[in-house]
This record gives sequence, C-alpha cells and structure tokens, in this order.
Amino acid sequence: MNYLKKIERRIQEFPEMPAMCRTLLQSLEDPDVDFKQLEEQIQYDPGLTSNVLRLANSAYFGATGTVSSLRVALMRLGTRRVSEVVTAILVSPMMLRSLSGYDLRSQDLLEHSVWVAVASEELARLMGYRDVKMLFTAGLLHDMGKIILDPFVREQRDQLLQEQLTESFDRREQDFIGMSHAQAGANLLAKWNIPEEITAAAKWHHDPESAPEYPEQVNMVHLADILGYSEGIGAGIDGMKYRASAVAHKRLGLKKSDIEYVASLTLDKMNELESLLT
Amino acid sequence: MPYRIIDIADLKISNRPGDILVTYSLGSCVGVAVYDPVVRIGGMIHCMLPLSKVDRNKAQERPAMFVDTGMQLMLSQLFESGVRKARLKIAVAGGAHILNDDNLFKIGERNFTVLRKILWKNSMLMNVQDVGGDISRTIRLHVGTGRFTVKSQGTEVHYELPQKD
Repeated sequence: MNYLKKIERRIQEFPEMPAMCRTLLQSLEDPDVDFKQLEEQIQYDPGLTSNVLRLANSAYFGATGTVSSLRVALMRLGTRRVSEVVTAILVSPMMLRSLSGYDLRSQDLLEHSVWVAVASEELARLMGYRDVKMLFTAGLLHDMGKIILDPFVREQRDQLLQEQLTESFDRREQDFIGMSHAQAGANLLAKWNIPEEITAAAKWHHDPESAPEYPEQVNMVHLADILGYSEGIGAGIDGMKYRASAVAHKRLGLKKSDIEYVASLTLDKMNELESLLT
Repeated sequence: MPYRIIDIADLKISNRPGDILVTYSLGSCVGVAVYDPVVRIGGMIHCMLPLSKVDRNKAQERPAMFVDTGMQLMLSQLFESGVRKARLKIAVAGGAHILNDDNLFKIGERNFTVLRKILWKNSMLMNVQDVGGDISRTIRLHVGTGRFTVKSQGTEVHYELPQKD
C-alpha cells in the first residue's frame, strides 16, 4: 500500500497552471504593474475577455454600472479583483469533474470551492480584517488535492469509512493513503509556483493551529470550509468528518450568529458566481 | 419519473403522482417532507439555518433558507391547496454535525430544535425522524405513493406510508 509514488506521479502529470494565471498573480506582487500591460495580456484571448466582462458585471464583484471594456473593468475593479476573476475562469474547468472516490458529482467540488472563496471574504470583512492578500484565490484552490487523491480514496474507501474511526477525514487519508488531500493540494500548488499564501491555506486548512505563517488566510479558509461542510455544500463521504479548530474561532471571537449570518450571505453569492463559471 | 430537485434554501410542493421530490446532500441542514395521503399532495423543504432573525432581509427574499419562515410558508401553501393538518405524514432528515463537540458549528442541532418546536406548537407529529450523526443524507418523496427514502453513504432506507392510521 504505497501510494506516495503514485500521488507524486499524478501531481507531475497534472496540467500546469494556465500561464496567464501565473503571469497575473506574479504581476500583483509587482507594485509598478500598469493596467495597460494586464489589458494587453488578457485581450489576446477574446473568450477570456468576454468572460472577464461577464464576471466584472456580476453583483459579487461589485460593479455597479455596466462594465463594457477591459480597461473599465481594470479601473473599476482593480488589478487584484481582475486577476482573481481570471484565475477563477481559467482554473474552474479543472474542478468540474465528478470525483467518485469522494462521492462528489461533477459540480460539487467547484461549488464547494466557490463557497469557501466567498465565505472566507465575508468572514474577513465581518471580523474587520482588511485586505487579506490572495484570500479569494486561496479559498478557491484549497481543495485541489482532492482531484489528486480521488482514485486512492476510491480504493481505500471501506478503510476510510470504518465505523469505529473517530479521527478527522484528513487524518484518515494520512493513515490509509499516506498523505492528506490538504498536503497533496499544497504539493500541486507548490509545483504551480503561485503565491505562498495560497499554498499555505491549502496545506493547513484542516490544521490551522500548526500553520507557521499566514494565519489570516489559513484561519478564514478553515472556518469557511467547515461552515460549507456544515451546510452540506459539496459534501461527499468526507463532508461532516472534520473538526473545527477551537483556536481559530476563539482567537477571532466569532459567535453563532456571526457564523449563521455569513452562511446566509454566502449562499446567493456562491450561486451567482457558480453559474457564471459553468 | 421526473425528479423535481429542491435546492438548498428552497421548497416545492406537488400534486402530480409521477413526481419524485428530491433534495441532495443534507448536512446540518434539515429536510422536511410532508404528505397528505388523501389528496396526494406532497411538499419538501431544505432549510439551512434555524431562525430568520439572523438576517431579516434574506428571510424576505428567501424564506425557505430558515426553518421558522420556511416551514410557515410551506405549511400555508399546503393548507391552501387542500391539505389537512390531521392527515399529514411528516418525515424529517438531516441535522447532522461535524466531528466536534464544539458549540459554534452545531447548526444541525439548532435547526432540528427549532423545527421540533414548530411542529410541537402546531400539534404535528413526526412519522419518520432520521437526524444527527456525522453523515450527509439525500431524501426523496414519491408524490404518487407517499414513499419516503433516505440515502446516506451508499445505503438507502425506505419508509412506506403506514397502511392504516
């Protein structure tokens, strides 16, 4: 039962991150990047351009008027939002697949990921954290490791679901497969060479106390994830079998009503974004 | 047979004998299926949160999101279409929780508590109750026969309508 080599091979064979995403995410690190460069990069691809405009006009991304050109989208939403939009558009097709090991239908992983992206931002806003870098994208990509582990979860399903087990599902993956989906996702994202905040959120989202860096991203993604599972959003066989970290919410001082309020806000926004992405 | 899917924070009622009302992936949400075997009308709701006071605006837009406003809406729609309270068969599923004992995420328990209170106040009894635990559930109601099923982790349990009451 050594899956580690197989996992490694699946990560190596997984598609590269779309080049456009990497360029955009990197350009965000560069304070001198100008709109014109971004505009030129995106407009080479007319399909992408029209998709960016559709999302830029969505209620979620907050454009109040009609955004009719890329230039306006970039000015009105800012380069950060536009790069989040582009990443969501380019990565979401990779998530639209059924994962039979986890018992997820073809839309479930994307739906759950969009929920976590939106709810992370709502939690951050409610808690008064401003400008948590890469939070939306960190939420969106936190579960990519499930795509990597799915065939092995299918093989080990009976073991993973033994009734007497009380460990959380990521621990069970570690025990029976040799790696959790959190770690597998972090390994994939590290290979994609994208900003560290995103990789850290993927790696620690079920064990936020152990995260050495980026506590805001890690804690928000963790709580948004648990809230999503609690509401059954994209929950497969593993769905309810996780633990909420006490430290994450005690330190943040969240109340029941906060959690429920965020859930009520997130549902419609998730539906809107999901329909724009599929 | 036509499946009619009830999304999260949604409800549907039907009197078409061929319909199967279904709602997928109930975690801590509660799903309630109600059925009047005389007029053969069924309803199903998938509520995600216990009380509408947490977000009044949302409750206006989407009453079915909350157990209190959602149940009220579904019952009044059913009564308007000729369903009688005394004949109603009620099946409830969901209300699960993640592994923690932690209070913050016990949304399932709060959902079920509010639901039970509403039913109790209206002197309505639950005929089927499949709630709690750390599993997610999919439920179906066959409008023609009143058959109710709960599926979880690959196993499906059928509840037929009681033959005589």
